[in-house]
Amino acid sequence: MAVAKRSFIMEHLRKAHMIELLAQGRRLDGRALLDYRPIDIKCNVIQKANGSAQVSLGNTQVIAGVKIEVGAPFPDTPDKGLLVVNAEILPLASPYAEPGPPDEDAIELSRVVDRGVRESDMVDLSKLVLIPGQKVRAIFVDVSVLNVDGNLIDATSYAVVSALLTTKMPELEVTPSGEIKEKDSMIPLPVSKIPVSVTFARIGEAMVVDPDSEEEAVMDARITLTTVDEGHLCAGQKGLAGGLTYEQIMFAAETAKIKGQEIREIIKKAVGSVG
Amino acid sequence: MGKLINDGIRVDGRRVDELRPYRLEVGVLKNADGSAYIELGKNKIIVAVYGPKEVHPKHLALPDRCVLRCRYHMSPFSTDVRKTPAPSRREIEISKVIREALEPAILVEEYPRTAIDIFLEVLQSDGGSRCAGITAASLALVDAGISMYDLVVACAAGKVDGTMVLDLSDIEDKEGEADMPVAVMPNLNTITLLQLDGVLTHEEFKRGIDLALSGCRKLYEAQRKALMERYFKGGLNQQEEVE
Amino acid sequence: MPEVKRKYVIPGELITEGNYRPLANVVKRGNKFYSTRIGLAEFGQEGVRVIPLSGPYIPRVDDLVIGKIVDYSAFVWEVDINSCFMAYLPAKNVYGRNFTPGQESLVKKFDIGDLIAAVVTAFDRTRDPILSVSGPGLGKITKGEVVKIAPTKVPRLIGKKGSMIRTIESGTGCKLTIGQNGVIVVVGRPEGIIKAVKAIKLVEEEAHLADLTQKVQAMLGVKEVGGQVG
Repeated sequence: MAVAKRSFIMEHLRKAHMIELLAQGRRLDGRALLDYRPIDIKCNVIQKANGSAQVSLGNTQVIAGVKIEVGAPFPDTPDKGLLVVNAEILPLASPYAEPGPPDEDAIELSRVVDRGVRESDMVDLSKLVLIPGQKVRAIFVDVSVLNVDGNLIDATSYAVVSALLTTKMPELEVTPSGEIKEKDSMIPLPVSKIPVSVTFARIGEAMVVDPDSEEEAVMDARITLTTVDEGHLCAGQKGLAGGLTYEQIMFAAETAKIKGQEIREIIKKAVGSVG
Repeated sequence: MGKLINDGIRVDGRRVDELRPYRLEVGVLKNADGSAYIELGKNKIIVAVYGPKEVHPKHLALPDRCVLRCRYHMSPFSTDVRKTPAPSRREIEISKVIREALEPAILVEEYPRTAIDIFLEVLQSDGGSRCAGITAASLALVDAGISMYDLVVACAAGKVDGTMVLDLSDIEDKEGEADMPVAVMPNLNTITLLQLDGVLTHEEFKRGIDLALSGCRKLYEAQRKALMERYFKGGLNQQEEVE
Repeated sequence: MPEVKRKYVIPGELITEGNYRPLANVVKRGNKFYSTRIGLAEFGQEGVRVIPLSGPYIPRVDDLVIGKIVDYSAFVWEVDINSCFMAYLPAKNVYGRNFTPGQESLVKKFDIGDLIAAVVTAFDRTRDPILSVSGPGLGKITKGEVVKIAPTKVPRLIGKKGSMIRTIESGTGCKLTIGQNGVIVVVGRPEGIIKAVKAIKLVEEEAHLADLTQKVQAMLGVKEVGGQVG
């Protein structure tokens, strides 16, 4: 019976201690079940990018960069700009990360965060068209994970959102002959909402938010729910092989709205100071 | 009088023998065994060292020394035009020369049957990133506690508008006539990286090496300071004795 | 008391020159001694060495280590001892010389995720470390809190002739089992464990600074232990 050695094995003693504490409403690091770790967001850290944000969620650290290009739209949406979100877990982020093409975890991470941003209509893609059917703005958001300590989904999501909120791109105009010219001014993206993801881990019967890597090593199921400013849900993803009861899902939905609003204020403060 | 140098002053205001502003920090990543961060001009590079550790798969291990692996990678948002995430041929070659620049400094026979991994990630690139990466990687190796004969420090010289200059910036790299990255083990006076891209006379070549080594000496002082800051602030402990 | 000189060094730095014996973490060229690590260089009658401030745990025979079972086969357990080498505990060490593979399922004794206190009985350049759990105080760890520190700080945590570990134990009412590999098990009452963990983390942070024993004593609210000064 060989176990994959490339993942973290939790000591029984420590797991038992964790379960004991959870029954009392506490976690190993002293947090309450619904407490997030300290969230730190710094914007405009990469000047060469159109927008950027470095986020730490406890010891989990990620950095997102936005690059805006001009390209052809997708054939089935000729009147919309492009938005692509891509995340990579760098080998320097964890002893268990290997160099190479993205594995299923990295792909799921990219796609879940992408959906949260896309489905919320955070960026009005119809305002990014230059020549309908031919030339639109293409927004690439790339995220590099620098240190893994659980809850990559939320950290990546806050970094992507903060970077988009502080992105500046050159104003463009289309000449009568169909050329695209850069004007002198820089303008922000057409952004109207701030989607916020909240990720839960089910450990036994307890539901906790913002799991760290020790909690992720023992969790039975995971669910991420993203809400927009009005409180509506716009994206969701259940992860891992375990299940969730109806009550747990409803509890998560209620909590995602409340925690989402708290974190939305944190993001607003971080981007507001950039101007 | 060219467009990149006027009266001995370069596009960014520097003299021909001046380094760009720089900053070094040791111990910036929690999971890595050792880590460091460097800014040089607009370069922002983070380096992690994992190891010594077991080699997987085992048949790749060497019986009498460690396997040294190095990965230089640029984040997609690090350049003016977005770079696709997949490693390019340029990154693969740079990974190799960086490894070969650092290996002479490492006591590889002290770690048989293990691997030491060095990961360099360029978060923002501005010319001379492989040299800046090497300078930071040395610190990350020391931070990881890997036995070394010396630090390795690197700096590039080049030719711009017919003049030899120190520490090319991005635009000087792209529009200049020659680019020469150099890495050295400063106490052993041994050069471990030398590449040349462009045409130089014998005199220019010598002047370039001299310039690069002068830049390396300044950066070595910065390396020492960063290590002292991380490990020795608080001063020498004379009274307490240990087992 | 023979004089020992000390200075902080980084790799490649010249420590001293002279007719000394080279000890740990130094390279000798002619009559000159250079450091290969960042740490505290000491030179005197015994020789020249560097006490490193960072670095992995490299096992030595007779070290006490605390390890985690991460895998097993029919005749051996694989134990993670926080080193660059995986350690092995042969089933024969537990079941006796006459053990044959398949006779017992190893998981009944130690399962994946269990912690054990063991001694390194063999290790050299050509093979992985071998462990033994026969001896007093060795075997499965069934209770206590696990704390990990950098292995280079373990000597400081033990202290001269055990002075630091005794200070912490008497100041918290806990018992500490310190593995040379930087893994420590603290057993005691919950309030005592919290204080002990804080003290251990303080020692790790400030291992190279002055007055550490006084600081720890102040933190735990104890006076000097057994007449030892400093």
